[in-house]
Amino acid sequence: MTTSQDATSAPSPELAPAFDLRRLLRDNIRDYGMFIALGVIWLIFTFTTDGLFVSGRNLVNLVNQAGFIIVIAVGMTLVIVIRHIDLSVGFLAGFLGAVAAIAMTQWGLPVWVVIPMTLIFGILTGLLTSFLVAYVGIPAFVATLAGWLGYRGALGLVTRATGTIVIPNATFNALGGGFVPDIPGLTFLPERHKVTLLLGLIAIILFVVSSIRTRRNTGPQVDSLSTPLFVLKLVVISVAIAAIAWAFAGYQGLSWTAVIVLIVVLFYDFVTRKTVLGRHIYAVGGNPEAAELSGISVARITHVVFASMGMLAALSGILYSARLRSATTTGPLLLELDAIAAAFVGGASTSGGVGTVFGSLVGALVMISLTSGMNLMGIDNSVQYIVRAIVLVLAVVFDVVTRKTAK
Amino acid sequence: MERSAERTPVVELRDIKKYFGAVRALRGVDLALNRHEVLGLMGDNAAGKSTLMKVLSGAYIPSEGGIFIEGQEVHFASPMDARRMGIEMVYQDYALANNLDVAGNVFMGREVVRFKLGPFGVMDYPHMEKETKNLINRLKIDIPSVRQKVERLSGGQRQAVAIARATAFDAKVIIMDEPTAALSVAAIDKVLDLINQLREHGSSVIIISHRLEDIFRVADRMIVLRQGRKVCDTPVSGDIQDFRERVVAYMIGARNDFAEASPVL
Ligand SMILES: Nc1ncnc2c1ncn2[C@@H]1O[C@H](COP(=O)(O)OP(=O)(O)O)[C@@H](O)[C@H]1O
Ligand SMILES: [Mg+2]
Repeated sequence: MTTSQDATSAPSPELAPAFDLRRLLRDNIRDYGMFIALGVIWLIFTFTTDGLFVSGRNLVNLVNQAGFIIVIAVGMTLVIVIRHIDLSVGFLAGFLGAVAAIAMTQWGLPVWVVIPMTLIFGILTGLLTSFLVAYVGIPAFVATLAGWLGYRGALGLVTRATGTIVIPNATFNALGGGFVPDIPGLTFLPERHKVTLLLGLIAIILFVVSSIRTRRNTGPQVDSLSTPLFVLKLVVISVAIAAIAWAFAGYQGLSWTAVIVLIVVLFYDFVTRKTVLGRHIYAVGGNPEAAELSGISVARITHVVFASMGMLAALSGILYSARLRSATTTGPLLLELDAIAAAFVGGASTSGGVGTVFGSLVGALVMISLTSGMNLMGIDNSVQYIVRAIVLVLAVVFDVVTRKTAK
Repeated sequence: MERSAERTPVVELRDIKKYFGAVRALRGVDLALNRHEVLGLMGDNAAGKSTLMKVLSGAYIPSEGGIFIEGQEVHFASPMDARRMGIEMVYQDYALANNLDVAGNVFMGREVVRFKLGPFGVMDYPHMEKETKNLINRLKIDIPSVRQKVERLSGGQRQAVAIARATAFDAKVIIMDEPTAALSVAAIDKVLDLINQLREHGSSVIIISHRLEDIFRVADRMIVLRQGRKVCDTPVSGDIQDFRERVVAYMIGARNDFAEASPVL
């Protein structure tokens, strides 16, 4: 910021010309760039795999594979927004997944006790981290590196006697690999899963109605889309939702993992954008001193964000072990790094205050789509890592460049 | 002595001391601010001006001394306590969140809730944006939209947002820490006009400034701090040149009205 500028000597902003393509691109490419990138990646894989990539079966697999990463990425985004990081969540997820498995197999607890209990353990571990960060004042990087070591050890200890713990509970395992049952007795569209189609339709209606209502309430603003573009956006997203619902419905319909991911994403999107808590999280990320001076407790926000991270790590551990129908001795390796990459690909910034839930969802889908598509193409594993490295760097470069030109 | 509500100072600081480890930033300062009064606060760098005002705004807890609001002793544990008592401060660095928009900054920490969903308060955006618009119109601030992110605003606009926030909630006392330091002459005029306006609306104002012209133009009274002590407390009057000479004498330590021993010359 240059301090010599001021309101009166700066040229007053002229009314923008009706259609200024450069300005339009500049203002919108940052918000929609990731969605476009995801679309392009999907198109490329659709061609290179002869359509296999967008088959219902592969899309369902994709979501089920991505589920435990997406929920972690959502939590990680908020951690990054408030200028911290959490390296411990990978092994924490593995450890809590193992605890859930032990609770069912050895303690004989029913699923409906085990799941909330595991989530509460997650919250408590998150509070332990935030105690170290906000109260003791240890940098999150160090505190959670200790967590990485500690939970890795804890996972080793609890699985030492048994090795991999097989989970026999069908209800629990359905969270990772099961499908929402269809309404029985419907005869139309016999090949398609009706509940999924219905949900897709509801999603489109809700999306369109709420977009229009928001726009009408607030009126056109400097940063909003022009009307034709707004309509275009509505159409593109509606078609995308319809296409995905149709593809899902053609296989076995909506998986439980997809349902859980949807709930998590919608809930966190709501909290971050609409509620006072969400506003405070972004205020703390943007300027912690200013937030504190405005009466926002930075410590309290830090506790809330890490508690939520812990809870989502627990959920991730549940999804992961349900998917494998077992708790392994190593847990989901490199999960924390995948989640961090997803958040940055999705537009989060290391300097804090920036990053959205939907951005991280898209970031996670980009990364998992790359893995899935390259697997289908039979590309070597090591090459895959390099491709993902390049995409990560490109995404961040894109973010930096568009941020600069936006100023 | 008669102590009607009119005569009781809005704010009184008594023997405020503030230590940062070995640094004695404030060594016992008294300050009284009357109703409808604009008080200038001057002093060299590191004299303790910002620290004293942060004690009053609740950002710092004093090591010793008392704060009295309309005669009642108060203890601020946080800036929110002070804001609840009607004390607002425009900080030297503006204290804005650049990632939030104008309305978001004005209402930061005081978001208006439309309804509650369990523990989650759902914000009333339209209300906050409308209020911010009114405020900006009233203060005649030149900002294209209340949804503009602060990171896209110029220095003067940012400061205007910080001032708007301080005046948004009908504060009794508004503290401004060097509000003119980063501004052009035209923008300074605006800020000083605004201070006069605030006084007319019934607020009391404390303004920290390095520019004697500013103080001379808007302040009724002036306090000079030097090395954490008050050395001068005087009405603003007379000729600006004479005034300047006197103030400089206080600032460099040549004069001190509050010295225990006779002033060292
Ligand atoms: N948070 C702090 N920690 C340590 N020392 C401080 C802090 N704030 C102010 N000081 C010290 O207190 C003294 C007064 O500072 P300040 O009130 O900012 O002066 P002024 O605003 O008059 O220039 C200075 O010596 C400064 O270094
Ligand atoms: Mg200062």
